[in-house]
Amino acid sequence: MKRYIARRLMQGVVLLCMVGTIVFFLGRLTGNPVDLMMPEDATAEDRAALIQTLGLDGPILDQFAIFVGRAIQGDLGTSIRMRQPAVEAFFDRLPNTLVLLPWAILLAMLLGIPLGVVAAVNRGSFLDRAAGTVAVLGIAMPSFWLGILLIFVFSVELGWLPSGRMGGPAHYVLPVITLAAFLVAGFMRITRSAMLEVMESEFVKLARIKGLSEGVVIWKHCLRNALIPVLTLWGVFIGNLITGAIVTETVFAWPGIGRLTYEAVIYRDFPLLQAVIILKSILILSINLGVDILYAYVDPRIRLA
Amino acid sequence: MFRKIARVATLSVALVVAVTVPPHAQEQKGALVFAVESLGAQTLDPILEGRPGNAVYQAVMYDSLVGFDLEKGGVGPGVAERWELAPDGLAWTFYLRPGQTFHNGDKLTAHDVKFSLERQMGPNSLASAAASMRRTIKSIEVIEDLTVRVQTTSPQIGLPAGLSRAVAPEGAIMPKAYIERVGEEEFRKKPIGSGPWKFVRNVPGDRIEFTAVTTPHWRGRPQFKDLTILLVPEESTRVAMVRTGEAAIASIGPETMLGATRAGLEVLSVPGTMQAVFQFWGTYKPEVKDSPIAKVRVRQALSLAIDRQQVIEHVMNGKARRPHPFATFAYTDYFSADRWKKWADEAYRYDPVLAKKILAEEGYPNGFELKFANTALPGTQFMVNIGTAVADMWTKIGIKVTLKHYEWGSFAPLERNQGPLIGWASMYRTAGRPDAPWRYDGAFSPESIQRLLGDTDNCQEACQEYVKTARALGSELDKTKRTALTDRMVEVTANTWTVVPILEGMGYYAINTKQVGQFDAIAGRHELGDVFERIPRPEQKPWKK
Repeated sequence: MKRYIARRLMQGVVLLCMVGTIVFFLGRLTGNPVDLMMPEDATAEDRAALIQTLGLDGPILDQFAIFVGRAIQGDLGTSIRMRQPAVEAFFDRLPNTLVLLPWAILLAMLLGIPLGVVAAVNRGSFLDRAAGTVAVLGIAMPSFWLGILLIFVFSVELGWLPSGRMGGPAHYVLPVITLAAFLVAGFMRITRSAMLEVMESEFVKLARIKGLSEGVVIWKHCLRNALIPVLTLWGVFIGNLITGAIVTETVFAWPGIGRLTYEAVIYRDFPLLQAVIILKSILILSINLGVDILYAYVDPRIRLA
Repeated sequence: MFRKIARVATLSVALVVAVTVPPHAQEQKGALVFAVESLGAQTLDPILEGRPGNAVYQAVMYDSLVGFDLEKGGVGPGVAERWELAPDGLAWTFYLRPGQTFHNGDKLTAHDVKFSLERQMGPNSLASAAASMRRTIKSIEVIEDLTVRVQTTSPQIGLPAGLSRAVAPEGAIMPKAYIERVGEEEFRKKPIGSGPWKFVRNVPGDRIEFTAVTTPHWRGRPQFKDLTILLVPEESTRVAMVRTGEAAIASIGPETMLGATRAGLEVLSVPGTMQAVFQFWGTYKPEVKDSPIAKVRVRQALSLAIDRQQVIEHVMNGKARRPHPFATFAYTDYFSADRWKKWADEAYRYDPVLAKKILAEEGYPNGFELKFANTALPGTQFMVNIGTAVADMWTKIGIKVTLKHYEWGSFAPLERNQGPLIGWASMYRTAGRPDAPWRYDGAFSPESIQRLLGDTDNCQEACQEYVKTARALGSELDKTKRTALTDRMVEVTANTWTVVPILEGMGYYAINTKQVGQFDAIAGRHELGDVFERIPRPEQKPWKK
């Protein structure tokens, strides 16, 4: 197991280097932050002076060398727009995103897993098709559209919930639903597939022969085994949530890392963009590694393999 | 008898108070919540923020050396109540209002003005005009507590305008003694200004909170007790927040106006905040010599093909105006606005028959191929729709338009390098500012980034005439002659049809009338940072039904 973790960590480091390099050069292909900071009648002299002040005047390879040198020491630069260390800006906003994720995952599991079970048990029936429709809708509905729709119905028309921003428990409801919608489909589909496979297993047949009630067979024996592949998807889903939060946080004016990413892109804030992408990658890699280790413990077959 | 006298006296006093003090005048209550699409750098240090951010939220707590003409728009008194140019044109003297204080009680003096301008010009400043200020400002002297003189390296007629928030953010006045005492870092955490609102809290990515000063202020004493500026990037969410009362005012685009009105919201239009234009790149270059757009009359024909009223009605929902010539407005300084309005109404008319006739006369009876870059500066997405409409109208007179859309950040490098844009037309925008020469310099000077009339290697007749006029304008001290020169500059450039205005746009806000009373914004100033203190509570001045 130790060798496995060490290998995964090494892979992670290589991946991070690649991500950092790609983001550095791709970001610079999209323009210059100074163009977005200067008014349209700015003189070439003022523009050149600002480029120099921001340290964007050197050759790109020199800038890359400086970036790498500092990144190795844990310094991912200073946000061009906010004049704040980019890492600090990321960690200021990270908790705001993290408070949304567990609720979104929980809601998605509470809806997606029972739907998957019902669909599997009633394979080919109306219920299966209805659950499939829910899954397709969840995947097909763009988050920004769903978010705006929810705001219109529950905030504007019914007046039950606030339209956006961070605040008390009521402020969480619509962003969590929006984030969870996509995952419901994912949980439902993977649970359904896993359940169908498990329901054909010998031990399930044995349980039925032993006279266990259908409820116990399905919800206790089948579901418990079907949840193992669901667990592996956690890492993927959390990654989806972190990246999907860009849209949800923008629609709901939620000051998390999703919005920070959006702002970094819009303002061509290269240091912030690099920091956000690299730190998000570390976050997702860590979660995936954690989930894989957990999976290995849950399913001894993985360990043996 | 005594009781009777006392009763009469009491009633008299009450009557006098009732007549002289308007109801609610002494009260400051409630919170004014404003939702905006961007808070820029969201820093309260004026040297770290650009023009839009400064105008949205820094203006709330900082006064500017030169302010606004609230009636007409454009430049007016600010921290300085008046200013005068030295006879040799090499110094401006600013006379400050007496009795101004910062929020910590320190007096605002000429020392603060000197400190603030020098800080804006300093090496750590991100001010967009920092380098220009370093070049043009020779020294800043404190003459006495309320008098400061700015010596310039050459006549800088536009300096007061450049230090007015109507034009640029560099005139923001910061507290010298406080910053020197606590240091820059602490100042950024606990900023102090002299404006009608005091800083309370800055929550990055979410909001900035202010509270009203309780003493009278020359900009107006706020009617609300608190002001919160919310960052809400999504327009639909901003409108929803105004509908639900979570915000009182939200910035919107023209495409949302109809929906907001139908939802029962008031829509406020601020006149003269921008001009949408189309312009031709590198028409003087040898490689464009044989291109149709190298011909002035062809460019004029393309203007005649545009039905501006249709664009105003259908893209801007009627909330826009026919334009003055390029980068000029009713409030432009030293400019014969009425004369040019009449000229523009005639010159920018819709006459597709004449447009086709001109094209035929110029040798293009069947039109020609034209590459057109459609783009929009941040916050003006409707520009893309205007560009699309313009392309359609050109198609109707036989032009085969190749329309290419660019996100602004991707368009700006093309503009700078020019290579890929030479021989193209593009959409562009100019912000509403009272000083035309500044914007003209950015578009037409051979050394400028855009250099639309000619560059340093190739400056032909119109270009030379522009340079001569602009140079004379830069050093002309006489107001009448200055107006004549501005008019000449406008004439020279307008007749080239290189940059052609499409419409004069407005700033738009959705308003919940139950949350705020009726108010007007400042003409030409899209942002409300200098307006919040003059917004009444709904019971003070209800909106007309």
